[in-house]
Amino acid sequence: MMAVTAKAFQLWRSRIAPDDTVSDVCRTAGIKRSTLAQQLVRGKVSVGTIIAIARGYSRDPVQALGEFDGYRDLGFGLRPPTDAELVSQVSSIDILRLLVARSEDAERTDEPIGLELAPFPHRNSVRAWVEAIDPGDLRQSLAARTGVARQNVSAQLTAGRLSPELAVEAARIAGVSLTSGLVVTGLLTPGEGGWPGDARGRALEVLTDIELVQLARDRLEVLGKQLRKAELDDGQDQAIWENLG
Amino acid sequence: MGEPGMSVVAIQWLALAACLLGAAIRLPDVVRGRGRVVFTALLLLSVAVGLSLEPIYLAVDRLLGGVNLANLAIRLCLYAVFVLLGVRMVAAFKAPRARKFIVGPLGIAVLAATVAFTVYFFFQSDLPYSDTGLTAFADQEAVEHYSEAGRLYPGYVAACLVGPALVSVVNRNARFLHRLAGAFLALGFGTVTVFAVLELFNVELAAGMIILPFSAILCVVLGLCLIWFSKRRAARSGGRSNLLAQ
Repeated sequence: MMAVTAKAFQLWRSRIAPDDTVSDVCRTAGIKRSTLAQQLVRGKVSVGTIIAIARGYSRDPVQALGEFDGYRDLGFGLRPPTDAELVSQVSSIDILRLLVARSEDAERTDEPIGLELAPFPHRNSVRAWVEAIDPGDLRQSLAARTGVARQNVSAQLTAGRLSPELAVEAARIAGVSLTSGLVVTGLLTPGEGGWPGDARGRALEVLTDIELVQLARDRLEVLGKQLRKAELDDGQDQAIWENLG
Repeated sequence: MGEPGMSVVAIQWLALAACLLGAAIRLPDVVRGRGRVVFTALLLLSVAVGLSLEPIYLAVDRLLGGVNLANLAIRLCLYAVFVLLGVRMVAAFKAPRARKFIVGPLGIAVLAATVAFTVYFFFQSDLPYSDTGLTAFADQEAVEHYSEAGRLYPGYVAACLVGPALVSVVNRNARFLHRLAGAFLALGFGTVTVFAVLELFNVELAAGMIILPFSAILCVVLGLCLIWFSKRRAARSGGRSNLLAQ
């Protein structure tokens, strides 16, 4: 189930905002009235809408989501992120900057290098996270357990997206904190999802030099592939524009 | 054959408007020396479409001596359009096989044969007075061959282009506008191909005779306009995105 049912949503809404109209709720949550109306007509309210409304009414978004079918275990499954997850949310350029910073640390003082990390999610957050938690056959199990076609799962990951349903299910399969997927897809803030603010920096500190170099190599390889693909697509666009534009 | 219905005439005028509009929006670029080939193709297409409309045809043909030279002009304009569009399409879609078929010996042979047959059968026909679409002389064998020859090269080039256009539609990495444009181009060229094949087997088309080719023209021009629009939009949004940015 991708989203929560309109019926369950209405029940929840009447509990957290008994006196507010739908318009009031939209104003408080900062969402467009037409968006919610459309979701209600279709009978499915998106996870993003629930989170926005929970925030608007100063409710914990994780607890709010936990009141709906498909997400009831969310609160109990809240754990600190693993080191691999944390490192996956450091951008490639920050990994390289850390490498350079360590190379300039001539004294080997072993004092932590206080690098100002770029905020996340970053460009490759979703894919990097899935790779970090993958026990080996994550995409396959994900497709099998959600009924979403495998190509569809792959297409989402290639595009740097993952639906909330898949994000939570991936965390269940991998046995990591159930909110992690919602954090790396940007639906929850790191704070809401139980990711401590300085955790990424600490996860980087414990990386050995070899691990850091190998990580940098892997990231550069991914980046290289992306650049090549982008160049190819760009070449196609240019050919079309130059010849037919 | 009888008088063409209102809707048929409407689609012809619509096609003419589309061609002229497609050419007009490209004018600013053409002045700066860019996109001249497609612009020329659209102008020639406008001439061909315009001449298939009775009032324009009769007026122009009178200037040309009233012996239906205007009809020959339509054919030759169309062949030129297919040469120009064919060459540009295969380059745009990076389709080397289709390119070989169009600019290679076979493509040139089909073009030469089509032009030769067209001119030969035109002068073999007995066309004493102006008549749009030569419908008054349709029972002459030479006129029949003349119109058959006219489908040959367009049908051949269109058949070569359907594949590359379809490939661009199924390319998931391509821009939405380019996939949409590819769909219209594939539909347009597909229609031209089908039209030529039906003619080959002498299938009676009645009103489809006019609606099919003019719908095809509309599709192709719409596809070209979408590409023009996507180029414009990309130029306005400025530069390429920096993939090294975090």
